[in-house]
Amino acid sequence: MDALTIAMPKGRIFEEAYELLVKAGYDLPKELDDSRKLIVEAPNENIRFILSKPMDVPAYVEHGVADIGIAGKDVMLEHDRDVYELLDLGISRCYIATAGMPDTQMNKVSPRVATKYPKVASQYYRGKGEQVEIIELNGSIELAPMIGLADRIVDIVSTGKTLKENGLVEYEKIVDITSRLIANPVSYRLKQKRITDLVERLRKQAVL
Amino acid sequence: MTIQMFEKPLGMRDDFPFIAKKKAELRTSGTNIIQQAGYDLLQTPTLEYYETIGKISAIADNALFKLLDSQGETLVLRPDMTSPIARVAASKLLKEKMPVRLGYYSNVFRAQKREGGRPAEFEQMGVELIGDDSLYADAEVIILAGTILKNLNIESSRFVIGHTQLLQLILEDFGLSQEQIEQVRSAFVSKNSVGFETLAKQLPIEESRMESFIGLISTTTVEEWKQWVNPHNSKQSSLFEEMKKLKKILDRSGLSEAVTYDLSFNSHMTYYTGVVFEVYAAGSGFPLGNGGRYDGLMKQFGLEVGATGFGLRVDRLLEIMSAVSEQQDHTLILFDEQNEDHAFDEAQKLRENGTRVTLQFGPAVKATDEFSKHFSKVLRLEGAN
Repeated sequence: MDALTIAMPKGRIFEEAYELLVKAGYDLPKELDDSRKLIVEAPNENIRFILSKPMDVPAYVEHGVADIGIAGKDVMLEHDRDVYELLDLGISRCYIATAGMPDTQMNKVSPRVATKYPKVASQYYRGKGEQVEIIELNGSIELAPMIGLADRIVDIVSTGKTLKENGLVEYEKIVDITSRLIANPVSYRLKQKRITDLVERLRKQAVL
Repeated sequence: MTIQMFEKPLGMRDDFPFIAKKKAELRTSGTNIIQQAGYDLLQTPTLEYYETIGKISAIADNALFKLLDSQGETLVLRPDMTSPIARVAASKLLKEKMPVRLGYYSNVFRAQKREGGRPAEFEQMGVELIGDDSLYADAEVIILAGTILKNLNIESSRFVIGHTQLLQLILEDFGLSQEQIEQVRSAFVSKNSVGFETLAKQLPIEESRMESFIGLISTTTVEEWKQWVNPHNSKQSSLFEEMKKLKKILDRSGLSEAVTYDLSFNSHMTYYTGVVFEVYAAGSGFPLGNGGRYDGLMKQFGLEVGATGFGLRVDRLLEIMSAVSEQQDHTLILFDEQNEDHAFDEAQKLRENGTRVTLQFGPAVKATDEFSKHFSKVLRLEGAN
């Protein structure tokens, strides 16, 4: 059996994905006691998990240090990486949307958009035929319209709670997001049997 | 931005001696095999016109290094070898000999826009077989690529083979427009199963054929392809027969275990018109090389001839080649003025016997012990003895 290295995003997605693998019949360690570990071994299945920031999963997979990975579609849209997208796992469902202060218009002269997803945001506004100035932020994007840094934000919305608590409203939905199973093209070819088997087993468990 | 002394432009790398040495070995071994297979080596210029090679190469515009010549014409650092060789063949060589077999080992340039990890200048080694549209030509180049890899002791290599024309005809049979076919092909290039399945639902495909259509993305053998080949379409049937023949030839050449036949496999390079392939091996996360039939490219040079070839990425071959070959004997001779003649004679004698010798004037070396550590043997010819 080929050894398989799987890049997983830390946190909630990891737990959901891990559960999915267990349901798909993979014999994985029950307790993951030390949550600060970056590498987790599952010797019974000859699988090694590497835990990374969600944004970084496609990078590990593209360079082939991980054979497969679980990545949000948002990350894949933002970072154009050469990886194969094999399966929609249906977990971590959310969407990317524009939001801002209620009843406001975009500034006519220099409309500004703050976001963690500059590429997605820029493509969206270009598609609408609007030229906007993108300001890239790394977190707490909601701050930007509240203190007048930007007219709109482009960000992930899952429940809408954060927006509401900060007095923001959602304007347009851009795209639905779920987690995807991705593969390195070379690993996919060299370990095709094992990876296809994994895809088929997960397909039955995917939350669609 | 102030550029520091040690910095290089993004994606440019130094070849330190141990890499340069490995590269030289690789080059010798590879080009020998290429020449033995009847190919003539060829070198083309580093600079080409943007109007011709730049556009024809099918490398993304923003990956081209561009500059202006004194007449104001835009030039590019050659981004690939196939198009320059097609240029030479179309304008000259084919008139003298056809089919013509050409091989190369050259560096090509592709600008990197993102982070590191990918070189902007790298060497490629490969062949082009121009003026032969038979499947024997396709088989020949695939086998040759396999031979080169085998000679470099790369055991685990795997080829994936597709056929762009057969795929095109099969997709047409599903009643898709050219635009829809392009969408499907682009999902296939990135093996985007999720995108492909979503796309399939929006395409005008009969309910009864949907399962069959989705299945296109997951074939691994030529036999499996058969279910999509329309027996009433003579072109499809004959291409399929050719694929079976190709498989037979490759099997006979000992590649049977090393090939996956994936009907959905094709390339973002649109000039491919027939058999296309890519080759991988454990140890590199990126393909080692690729190739295929590019009659479409020859057409852009005004010629209706068949052409096929492949290119291997030297940087990726180096990455996976087994550890550096045995440390060679390297003798150091330290001499002083008194022993000058003797030292020169000794060095020549040793070199003639095949030993690698560094001849060094002793007093010029400040830290003799440190320096001597780099050699397997030290010979001191100093003072009166």
